[in-house]
This record gives sequence, C-alpha cells and structure tokens, in this order.
Amino acid sequence: MKHVFYLDGQEIPFVPGQNVLEATIAAGQDRQIPYFCFHPALGSLGACRQCAVKMYSHDSKHPPRITMACLLPASDDLQLVTLENDVHTEHREIIELLMTNHPLDCPVCDEGGQCHLQDMTVQTGHSVRHYGGPKRTYRNQNLGPLVYQEMNRCITCYRCVRFYQDAALGEDFGVFGSRNRVSFGRLEDGPLESPFSGNLVEVCPTGVFTDKVFRHDYVRVWDLQQGPSVCPHCAVGCNTTPGARLGTLRRIRNRQHPEINGHFLCDRGRYAFPYVTAHSRPLQPRLKGETSRQEAVLRQLASRLEEGRSGFLGSPREDLQSNLGLFALADCLHAPFAAVTSSWAEALAQQCLALPQAPSLQEVAAADRIVVIGDLDSIAPMAGFAVRQALGRGARLTVLASSRTGLARKGDYRPLRPSALRDQVAQLADDPCLQGGRVPVLLATAETLGPSGLYALRKTLEKLPANARAGAFVNRPNLFGAAYFAADGHTERLQQALRQREINHLLCLGADPLGEDWGAGAWRTLSSGLEGFALLDMVDSATARAAEALLPVAAFPERAGLFVNYEGRIQAFAPVYQREAQVLHSAVHGSGFPDAAGGMKHPLGPPSPLFWLGRLAELLHVHEAWQKRLDFYLHFLCPAAPDPDSPGVLLPDTIRARFEIATLPLPPTVGPEQWELDIFRWYGGETLADTAEDLQSLAPLRGLRVHPDVQAASATLQGPCGQLHLPVIPCEDMVQGVIAIDQEGFAELGLYPGDPVEVTWEQEP
Amino acid sequence: MSSPTSTVDLHDDALLARLRALVAESPVPEAAISEVLQALQKARGYIDDEALQLAATLTGLSPVKVEELCTFYSLVLREPVGTHVMRVCDSIACHMAGAQDILTQARQHCGVGFGEVSRSGKLTVIPHVCIGMCDRAPAVLVDQEALGPMDKQALTQLLAQLEADVWKPS
Ligand code: SF4
Ligand code: SF4
Ligand code: FES
Ligand code: FES
Repeated sequence: MKHVFYLDGQEIPFVPGQNVLEATIAAGQDRQIPYFCFHPALGSLGACRQCAVKMYSHDSKHPPRITMACLLPASDDLQLVTLENDVHTEHREIIELLMTNHPLDCPVCDEGGQCHLQDMTVQTGHSVRHYGGPKRTYRNQNLGPLVYQEMNRCITCYRCVRFYQDAALGEDFGVFGSRNRVSFGRLEDGPLESPFSGNLVEVCPTGVFTDKVFRHDYVRVWDLQQGPSVCPHCAVGCNTTPGARLGTLRRIRNRQHPEINGHFLCDRGRYAFPYVTAHSRPLQPRLKGETSRQEAVLRQLASRLEEGRSGFLGSPREDLQSNLGLFALADCLHAPFAAVTSSWAEALAQQCLALPQAPSLQEVAAADRIVVIGDLDSIAPMAGFAVRQALGRGARLTVLASSRTGLARKGDYRPLRPSALRDQVAQLADDPCLQGGRVPVLLATAETLGPSGLYALRKTLEKLPANARAGAFVNRPNLFGAAYFAADGHTERLQQALRQREINHLLCLGADPLGEDWGAGAWRTLSSGLEGFALLDMVDSATARAAEALLPVAAFPERAGLFVNYEGRIQAFAPVYQREAQVLHSAVHGSGFPDAAGGMKHPLGPPSPLFWLGRLAELLHVHEAWQKRLDFYLHFLCPAAPDPDSPGVLLPDTIRARFEIATLPLPPTVGPEQWELDIFRWYGGETLADTAEDLQSLAPLRGLRVHPDVQAASATLQGPCGQLHLPVIPCEDMVQGVIAIDQEGFAELGLYPGDPVEVTWEQEP
Repeated sequence: MSSPTSTVDLHDDALLARLRALVAESPVPEAAISEVLQALQKARGYIDDEALQLAATLTGLSPVKVEELCTFYSLVLREPVGTHVMRVCDSIACHMAGAQDILTQARQHCGVGFGEVSRSGKLTVIPHVCIGMCDRAPAVLVDQEALGPMDKQALTQLLAQLEADVWKPS
C-alpha cells in the first residue's frame, strides 16, 4: 500500500517508520524545509529547531501547531504547511539565532559554494543580524594533516560528534562546554585518531571542519570537474566523487551507495588520492630509465614480444578490462599469463572467490552476531565501519586476532597466534559467540587467514544456518576481477617457464614483483633469468625503476574501467578529468596558463592500459583477434556492463561455481616453540596511498612489533629469500610468540602471514 | 575547598580506595563519574590533567568523555583556584539587579581576570549561571554558601573577610 502525507498540498510518499523530514528529503521536496541537525545517516536530534512545519489536524477542535519535521513520524494523510507567514518567520528567526556568532567569512571559507548553512540562509531569507553584541571567538585546534578546524563557524547541530562518537565509535573527539560556549574537538591539539575522521568535512553543514588536503590546492567547488568513480584502495569499492581542476585531482568526496559506503568514506579513500600528483609518478614513457618517445618504447616492446619468449603478469591493483586486455594479448601470443605474483596469492584469490555470496556492508550493519578475523580496519576500513554500525544496533562482536586491534577494543577479543586462529575458525560453527542471533556474519582479512584458513572459513559457513554470511577482504580493488584468471596454477606455470628459460621477458601490468607484492622475494631471484621486462603502471616502484620499458598509464579517475569488489559486484568508474603529462610552466610567460592565442597545447596525459595494449596488438598484427577475445571475455564475465551511476552488478553465479578447487590448501606447519609471523598494517597504508604525503605523515613507525616480554632492541629475521634486520617496537597489544612486520618485510623474506620464522634477538639497535 | 597548591597525591592509597569504592557502589562504573570527580576536586582543589586521566581509568570512560562532563558542569574546576571560590550569578534576574557591578567590583578587588587566582592567593571569582537564588538577586555563591542580595557594601565586607581568612559559612 502506498503511504502519503501532504506538504503544502503536495503528495509526499513515505515508508512507515520515516519521519516527515526524512521522507521529504528522500522525495527531493525539501526546498521548503530548512534543516541542520538531521542527517540521513545520523538521524534526528531536534536540536537546531530549524525544520519547523505547521500541522493541521482534521478536526476543528485542535488548532494548527508548529512542530519539528524531523521529530514528527510520517503518517497517512498528515496535512503540513510551510508556506505561511508564521512558519516562514520561524525559519528566518531560528537561522538568525544560529547565526548570532557566525563570523560571516564566506569569502575566505573553504565551505563557501557547497555550504548547507549558506543555502539555508539564502533559502529562508535571513539577511540582517539584529543582535548588536560581541561575537564569541574560539581558539582553534590543530587536528592533524587531514581536517581543518574553524570553530567560530559552528551552529551547534552536533552532527560532528554524533558521527565521530556514535557512528564511528571514535574516542578522541567530543563536545565541550555548555550553553553558548559549546565547542567540538579533541582534548588537546593533535591528529584525529579515527580512520574515518575525514567524514567530519562532509557531515558538518558549515565551514567548521574542512578538507585540509584540498586546502593546499584549493578551488571553489563550482570550478571543479566532478564525476562518478570507485575507490581504488581496497576491495570494498566505495563510491566516490573525485574533483579535479586544470588537469590535477584536488579532492575526493563520498558518492552515496546505499549498499556499500552509504554517506561515508574512510580516510584512505578520501586522502590517498595525491598518488596521482606525486612527483614520483611516471608520466612519460621510459626506455632503459630514459624518457623516450612513446612509439620508440612501443616498438622496442613489440619486438621483444615478437620473439615469443615473453610472459604476462596482471594485477589485482588494476581494473578488470586492463587485466582482460593483458590476458587476451597473452592468449593471442600463446604466452603464459598470471594475474597475481605468487601461488600463495593465487590460492588466496581462489579461496576468496569460492566463498558464497558475501554480505553487502548494509547487510553487515544489520547483522547481530559478528566475528571479525584479523585487523579489518587496516585492510578495508569501511567494512570496519559497518561493524561499528551493527554494534550501535546491539550486535555482539567477537574479534579473533594476534593483536588488540581497534575493533577488538569494541567487542570480545580473543588473542590468538595465527595457527590457533586458523584452528579456531574451523571450530566456529559450534562457538557460543555465534549462537542466539538471527543474522551471523563472519568477516576476515584474507591475508590473516591465508588460503587454508579461508578454506576452513568456507567449511565453517556450511555448518552454520543458511542465512550466515562471510566476506573476505584485501587492500586491492580488483582481486575478485583478477581472481577469475587466477584459477588454475597460472602463477606456478609462469614461474616454471621462467625457471626453465622458456621465457626471458615479462610484461607486467600494475604489479610490483620486485618490490612489495606477495612473493617478491622469489621474483628477485627469478628475474635474473630475464633479459628485460616491461611495466604498465601509474606509480613508481622497485619494478618501475628496474623496467627496461615503462609505459605510464592513466590513474583511475582519469579513465573508465571496472572493478570487482569483495562481493563480486562489478562497478564502473568514469573518466573525471584529463591529466596533463607536464604541468605547464611556460618559460616565456612565466605562468602556468596556456597561451591565450591557443598556440600552446596541453600535452595529453598518460593513456589507459587498454590503449597501450591495443597499440601493441596492432604492432604485432593481432589486433582483431585481441579485440575479439577481449570482448568475449568481458561479455562472459559481465554480460551487461554496469553504468558508473548504477549500483553495479554481481558476478554471475556460474563464474563463482568455477572455483570449487580440487587441491586443499595446506596450512603452514608451526611448532609450539616457533615464532609466528603476522602482518602489521595501518588504515592509511596501501601501494597507491603510500605516496600521499599528508596521509603518510600519520603512518606508524616501521619496525618489528612484538610483545614487550621480549627484551631486545632489534632483531634479524631469516626467510627463504633473504634476511631482514629491524628495530624492535615493543607492543602491549601483541600476542606472545607472534612477530608482526609490514608487507615489504614479508616480500623481503619470501614468507607469508602465519609462517614460522627464525629470529635472532639483538641488544644493539 | 582546599588550597590552590594542594599536593594531594593521586596515588595515595586512602584516596584511591575511596574512589574505587565509589565506582564499586555504582550500578555501572561509568555512572560513578560525577562522584569521582567531586571527590577528586575535594582532595586536590581542582581537576588537573592527571586527575582527569585517573577518573577516566577508574570509570572506564574515555578522557574525552570525562572532559565533556567537566566542561559541561560549571561546578567542576579544571584550573587551580584560590582558597575561596566566589561564583557571581550573571543570569537574567541577577543581571537585572546589578550583577555586572558585583562582578566588576570583585574582579577589581582580585586584580586578575575571572577564573584566575587573586594575587593574594585567597580568591577566585567566576561568573556563573543561575544558582536558584533569583528571589535574593544579585546572588553569589561563596564556596558552598549562597549569599544575597549583594550590594557594594556587603561585597566589600565579604571580600575583606575572605582576604583576612575570617569568613565562616553560617
Ligand atoms: S562543528 Fe559543524 S557539525 Fe559540529 S556542531 Fe558545529 S556546525 Fe554542527
Ligand atoms: S573502505 Fe576501501 S574502498 Fe572504501 S573508501 Fe576506504 S579504502 Fe576506499
Ligand atoms: S533538523 Fe529538525 S530540529 Fe534540527
Ligand atoms: S538569576 Fe541569579 S540566582 Fe537566578
């Protein structure tokens, strides 16, 4: 049955349970109701008194009265009015009160042009401040490199603190004082600690909290080129709106996706974007380390490929079409191809894809029994945010990890060594932590469990009630897309071909086999058999520096593409702007502006990987076959390619069904006396994000984390591929017997999370 | 109210035992926060950062939450104060009855700003919200004692007594 009420005579549809303001906003009819403290994701508070409407009753006994739309439950046939003088006066006067202390500094305020307060003030017609008293002035706090505070602009809607404390469960931000001297901030100056702090910028309806990174290279919002994009920094695939100007990316904002990120983003998603403007980003083709003309590089590469002794290496960091393009080219040339750098990563990808349909983040937020395995916040922060939402609704959370993570502090924490953790996952079906609920959900960071742990997770899931769901997360945007090709020992075959000298050349796409990718240790040895290799990538890396031929590619907001997220949801992103290959600093004019006469052209930025692959296919005379294969694979995976503005489409079940894997992944064998290795990550770390300076200024120290009962200043770890000497960082949160290092460390050693490791403790730093 | 230079040790066993008892008596630890703050303020004169951290640890609240409370309640002091604290009501009834004059006179007497310790160390004057003595406006609260109506003469006398350490609550 359709429910409606009437606002100024117009029908407004609603869903029972909605309030009047919520329904009016959802119907896009809120032109007549100004509001501040209500926020679709944070709910109503009734604090600002701005959203007045006049309610008429059906009988004549009750006179009409003014009430707050955000506190009035929508009900059938309500008669509401705003177009009357007393309502309008109320709107105007309330905003005048809220503006009593506002500094009216719109011309120098970063919020100007996208300010809810500006909009509401204009909408209600308030223009004269009648109160002649002095304005209250605050001392602002330095909240770190990401969020800028200008407290004088506050209208005390409490959205910020409701977001930070109630939604994000942050503990270092609050509301201080009372009456007309309320302020919002930290106990003392210092960076905000929440991985979700950047959302303050979007929830604050005024210019109190603004984007500090955007501030470095600011433009008014009406001068920004914006478009629909998808976050490339982890498997969640949050929807974003990048904003660019004059060929450079300036900021990232949330783009609502009700089933994924809702109204929010994590700080990695918001602040990692400067990888596109990093000085180290390759923008020109390079041949043997020297900038070169693109045709020269392409020819050289084509002649290498013509020799027929090349292998191909894709990447879960690259989008679906580019990987398909590479796969198709390998196919045309009958060359070996792998989508990931190690057999371990391949097995991991397979196990991820073999899990039954994962819950959306919206479904996670509605779960009432949740088990989190590993440091979810550091891999896929918004998944951790969804868990917080569930906690807010009363869910019971159990965290299995080898250190006390952010989420572990919010639920029942079970400190476990990686080996014990895998065992426990296998036993979870009978565990009391999942009993008694309606909707059990298990969320794991894939690398913590490893292939064998993920297998155990799948088996556990089979024993749980049919509505139980599980999701596995990685910090790559397209593992699920790449996993499709990772099915049958590709990586081993590629490495085998290299060992047996069947190939002597490698074409890599967005991979860093010589740097920090899984299995890099082995690749460093293998690469001695290479006469050269080529790379298509958008960031600098060990591999990029060593590549014989380097073809720079467009960053994600500079091109179109598809990512497959952890649910198997295929999402499209659109090109938002075009990067210039060189920033124009004309020596003649001394300015960065193009010649007014149009004499100087903007050089075009790097093209997409598909462009390069297409050109290579042309030079190799296989273009038609390549295009055909590419179209075929794409159609197979994704019969109806989604639109960037759509919610995306799920991978067909037929594809998932491919992944009933024959060989059982074996867990590493660990003796009781052995040290176990686990991975240390933080929410801002990820290959692309690592070049974003402001975000990285918050990165924790690099070192070896271990429980403080170990008395050592440094340690040397020994792995099959190398040695690693690191300073020891004693860490109360670690489980005894476990050593945590970062991914680079694993790459160096040639080990994987959960592996036993040999360690020598040293007293000298 | 103890002296501004109170050096009560926060690790003093008796104090800690008292605070722990307050927490134990409360239905949930968090709910004991006002009592804990009161006891700490009584012992130490004001809530310094160390006391705030201790209150947070004892009740399981985050330090931010404790600071939210401290700054919300105007009776909680976060800065050192003089031997006596005089809170001068500046809400509407007292304002109409001349609270501003009382505040000015008191501040001039102290020779420092509101909330600061007078040069003699004896007094801190703080403007305050309504203390429920509107019928005897303008009213002041000296330590725990409400007095009013105040006028120039009564205030002069009161200040002299406070300065000379001879003022006694009735
Ligand atoms: S800082 Fe912004 S979000 Fe917070 S209360 Fe003030 S206006 Fe509202
Ligand atoms: S959770 Fe992942 S996809 Fe979402 S904004 Fe953060 S890094 Fe991006
Ligand atoms: S939006 Fe309704 S009172 Fe603030
Ligand atoms: S207004 Fe001063 S006591 Fe009430």
